[in-house]
Formats: sequence, C-alpha cells, structure tokens
Amino acid sequence: MRQYEMMIILDPALEERTVQPSLEQFLTVVTSAGGTVGKVDVWGRRRLAYEIDKKPDGIYTVVELTAEPDTVKELDRQLNLNEAVLRTKILRLDLR
Amino acid sequence: MAKPPIRKPKKKVCLFCQEKVIRVDYKDTGLLRKFISDRGKIRARRVSGNCTQHQRDVATAIKNAREMALLPYTSTAR
Repeated sequence: MRQYEMMIILDPALEERTVQPSLEQFLTVVTSAGGTVGKVDVWGRRRLAYEIDKKPDGIYTVVELTAEPDTVKELDRQLNLNEAVLRTKILRLDLR
Repeated sequence: MAKPPIRKPKKKVCLFCQEKVIRVDYKDTGLLRKFISDRGKIRARRVSGNCTQHQRDVATAIKNAREMALLPYTSTAR
C-alpha cells in the first residue's frame, strides 16, 4: 500500500454539485480493491494557464488516497477514458 | 588597462533551506511564480539563489504545475 495524491481536472461544463458524486463513483475502484480514500478537496472552477481541448477553465480536484500501485494504475486508466476528465496527475506522497 | 572593480555580490541564502522545507508543492502556484520570469521561464539558480537540491525540486514542481495548467509554458506578457 502506498500513499498517493491525485489531481483531476474535470470538464467545466459539469455542474458543480455533480462533481462530488461522480468523484465518489470514480473512487469506488480504490475502495473495492481494499484501498482507502483520504481527503477530497474540490477547488472548484479555476482558470487554466492555457487552453486544454479549447476549454479556458476547468474544475480542479485533489484527492489523497492509499492503495496498491496496480489499483492506482487502473483508476488512472479509467479516468483517462472518461470524457468529463480533462487531465490527471498522480504523485506519491511517501517519497522522501 | 584598468581592471574593472571586482564586485562581490551578496551571497543569497536558499529560501527553502531557511524555511526547512522538505517538499516543494507543485500546487503552491503563488510560491512557484516567484521562480518564473514574466515570460514563464524558470529562473536560473544564480538569480533565484536556491541551493542545488531545492532548485531541482522547484524546477520539477514548476514542470508538474505546467502539465496541470496551473502555470503557463509560455506567456506573452510583452
């Protein structure tokens, strides 16, 4: 098990209040595989420094989680398949 | 030939060593903005005054932030 921090940029067309449920739905992959989800921080709509897919802004979310490396890989794969996700980044928290 | 006077620039102390930071967070754009020029380029160590290790950490943090569109790759401020 390792600690990760994941940042997800969601489509700005998404309703602000549907963000939380859809995030939970994504994260069921982690919980069903024995991992735990820590802090979920929704930054909300934020201007992008440059356009991604012609979109000037995005909904930023930061999630802390503990899971096996394979689980995280699977989560990332599923997120990238999802149309509502613009970009993701996973960093390990337990380095150094 | 008169030699130009030798200037001894004041030795800058690394900001992160002073604050005893162990991890440079790529999400802290306010802090990272201090280390990029108005064109969006990463400031050199001789300008930023960072130590080797922290300059490296700052550079990777900026690159991570760029990937997530928190900081610009280029900005045409001029």
